[in-house]
Amino acid sequence: MIRRLGIALVVSLPLFATPPLPAPPPPAAPREVRLPKPVEKTLDNGLRVIVVPKHDIPLVAARLLVKSGAASDPAGRAGVAQLTSAVVTKGTKTRTAEEIARGIEALGATMSASAQWDASSIDVSVMSKHLPRAIELVADVARNATFAKDEFEREQAQTIDVLQVELSEPAAIAEAVASRLIFGGAPYGNRLGGTPASVQSIKRDDLVSFHKRHYRPENAVLVLAGDVKPETAFRMAQSAFGSWKRGAAPAPRAVAKPGEPTRPRVVIIDMPESGQAAVVIGRTGIRRADPAYLPAIVANSVLGGGYSSRLNQEIRIKRGLSYGAGSSFEARAAAGPFTADAQTKHESAPEVAAIIVAELARLSTAGVPESELTPRKAALIGSFAESLESTSGVVNRLSALALYGLPLTEINRYISGVQGVTAEQVRRFAAANLRDAHIVIAGNAKEFEAALRKQFSDVEVISLADLDLASPTLRVRKAKQ
Amino acid sequence: MHALSHRDYDPPMFLARLLLLLLVAASAAAQQIHFKHRVLPNGLAVYSIQDRATPTVAVQVWYRVGSKHDPEGRSGFAHLFEHMMFKSTKNMPSEMLDRLTEDVGGWNNATTLPDATAYFEVVPSNYLQTLLWAEGERMGSLTVDEANFKSERDVVKEEYRYRVEAPPYGKLFLALEEASFVRHPYRRPGVGNIAELDAATIDDVRRFHDTYYRPDNAVLIVAGDFEQQQLDAWIDQYFAPIARPESAVPRVDVAEPPREHERRVTRYGSNVPLPAVALTWLIPAASHQDAVPLNVAATILSFGESSRLQERLVRGEIAAEVFADSDAREDLGLFGIVAIMASGHETAEAEKVIRAELAALAEKPVPAAELEKAKNLMITNALRERETSNGKAFALGEAIVLEHDPNAVNEELAAVQAVTPADIQRVVRQYLIEGKAAVIEYADESQRGAQ
Repeated sequence: MIRRLGIALVVSLPLFATPPLPAPPPPAAPREVRLPKPVEKTLDNGLRVIVVPKHDIPLVAARLLVKSGAASDPAGRAGVAQLTSAVVTKGTKTRTAEEIARGIEALGATMSASAQWDASSIDVSVMSKHLPRAIELVADVARNATFAKDEFEREQAQTIDVLQVELSEPAAIAEAVASRLIFGGAPYGNRLGGTPASVQSIKRDDLVSFHKRHYRPENAVLVLAGDVKPETAFRMAQSAFGSWKRGAAPAPRAVAKPGEPTRPRVVIIDMPESGQAAVVIGRTGIRRADPAYLPAIVANSVLGGGYSSRLNQEIRIKRGLSYGAGSSFEARAAAGPFTADAQTKHESAPEVAAIIVAELARLSTAGVPESELTPRKAALIGSFAESLESTSGVVNRLSALALYGLPLTEINRYISGVQGVTAEQVRRFAAANLRDAHIVIAGNAKEFEAALRKQFSDVEVISLADLDLASPTLRVRKAKQ
Repeated sequence: MHALSHRDYDPPMFLARLLLLLLVAASAAAQQIHFKHRVLPNGLAVYSIQDRATPTVAVQVWYRVGSKHDPEGRSGFAHLFEHMMFKSTKNMPSEMLDRLTEDVGGWNNATTLPDATAYFEVVPSNYLQTLLWAEGERMGSLTVDEANFKSERDVVKEEYRYRVEAPPYGKLFLALEEASFVRHPYRRPGVGNIAELDAATIDDVRRFHDTYYRPDNAVLIVAGDFEQQQLDAWIDQYFAPIARPESAVPRVDVAEPPREHERRVTRYGSNVPLPAVALTWLIPAASHQDAVPLNVAATILSFGESSRLQERLVRGEIAAEVFADSDAREDLGLFGIVAIMASGHETAEAEKVIRAELAALAEKPVPAAELEKAKNLMITNALRERETSNGKAFALGEAIVLEHDPNAVNEELAAVQAVTPADIQRVVRQYLIEGKAAVIEYADESQRGAQ
């Protein structure tokens, strides 16, 4: 059913003279979504290998997923997992960094290594005829990385430069402050890649230890999707990874502590030079294995997951206050953050914050009408179906299931699971999980502080120069006079 | 180099733009795009690419009007107009396109390029008829009103702040275009500026639609799951009745003079943590035979960690990031190299290395293995683009609009494969050594006045 939008519309034809608009042509009968059929095998050393054949294009996406990430960073040294990923491709026992880069790029492939909170990945996307060589290189890198001193120092210096660029934008600052408010001193309270200060404190040994502890076959999954037959892929995996030894002691499992719910705060980071203000509103969310996962993603789809979501409707479409407003739940091994955000001109920041707060409350109190719930579910399902059209999309979906210990058959249940979520489940979920969020605004405080104080008592202001993302008070400790 | 997406929430992705441009040049011999073509009596060019194995269909309409057509004193107008195309038509209230796409599990977006504006959507294929009807509506009967105009202009101004003012290097990319062209309208920012956006009126919008949004200035591309005869019948039903105006379509016919001298400018921004430098050269249009070897040269220079500039500058710890981009557009092109410095390093160091690498590329033939690597990288990228119907349609649309030749989408792979080391030497020498550079230095406002 095509639903007319609500009240704020001004239609150009005068209503009294208008017969009902001719309806657009209705849809035909729907086609079925093709679901991938993964085949898997675990090698003797514990490496799990998952393969999805997809022969329409001669391309393969492959990922070696190590089930440890930034949540396993040593205390005070945020950025170890990320830096380990950055340096793992920079030299092995038998190949220099240049030889690895040339080797993979000669195949027309690119290899990228990166860390998330709960995992570290090494990815390749390669023409199928070059797959065996690409897998060999991935295996060499994962197993035999040497973390040479000069490579470590180069990568460390570059990372610090890149972080400085990232942290000159209000959105990155607001997000980092929100994480600290939500999670306090727990690992999720850090920036995933760390800060210039935390990365500066990292030593080469930190990377070597991280690699030794976590990069091992029984802690890893190899996922391939594309123009490859399962038996061929298993043979390749056996050849490249079969002699990779299990760790001597059991792999340490990072038990990421979720943050304790904290009193919600309103914090301004004063960035007078920034071109725009960034508003981030956040609190603890859910973990991936939470039974409420499907109601959560449906609630998010309604609230801020897409162009026609409520936040974007209210902030961009109706009021023109932002290029885009949205929200997300990061469902991790432990409860990750829920955040809603938008960038806007400085003087509009308080209005945007108020709209977001109001929408969080509305979702918690009033049920979502069926006429809205159905299209928001369709948007989720469509995005799911689309992700399965590319080899990299398939690898993403399956690695996430493997990482969080979920059956791969969840892929077959996603569509019906989403369709089965009720309005009452969404409302109850929102009421339990969206209240009492922190509010962070990074921007030119002069233009919005007064208005914000009218909306919220107890507004804290920290200038960018005084901001210390590592400190529980968020402030640089000043030397006593 | 500016492509402005309607819905793109990502920060300006320099590398994403680079990849997009590489994809124009690289078609996979193994992945020919099979298309059918016809022209309606009203001038609308129609292309279709059938794939019954997918449950979705992509619909794209390319209008041959882009930011280079922005009227005087109205820079940013083509992009603002693109936003207005999502508002109401005679039979569709505002935002209806989202009801017809996102609400049914699809999505829509648009992008304003210097030479053209492309509107594209992907839906489950049982909604094809509905989408064709909707695109016919927008082409034939867009209606505009004050409230929607003002609100959408505010959004565009926010987009300007989001893309240009908030990111540390947003202004560099604007400065790069402005310093690179002296006469051609490519020099003007596609995203506009706040003052000129404020000067735009609703009458400007109506006039723009009448002038440029017409069937004889448009290309319709449908890719994915459809039945050919049914598709043809629907296209005739919804598009054939749209009248072709009597007037001619205004064309941009401005010759950019060759550069007589090297040019240097310095620009400043706020919140710029590390200085940057850009060098640009004028190169021929996308349809010229040198466009492909120039693209291969850009790949050799900066694509991948083992590329020449990545090794010399980034691994050499002089620059934090570097990329080369061969942007061959419809009228002429721009070859650019941008480096963001590593802390403690001056832009002069990067400039020296860049010029030395260009000289080396001109003087010595590229070794066979290195050339093969560049070609493989371009082919793999093309394959990735062609995984989806929308990707295939986009590649075809660019070939049609930029190169005036749909077959280029398939011929380009052979052209890439055929590039020789001598070709690389010749184009680098002719355009990047003998051609005069424009050098744009970019630093933080606090450095203004400092030597």
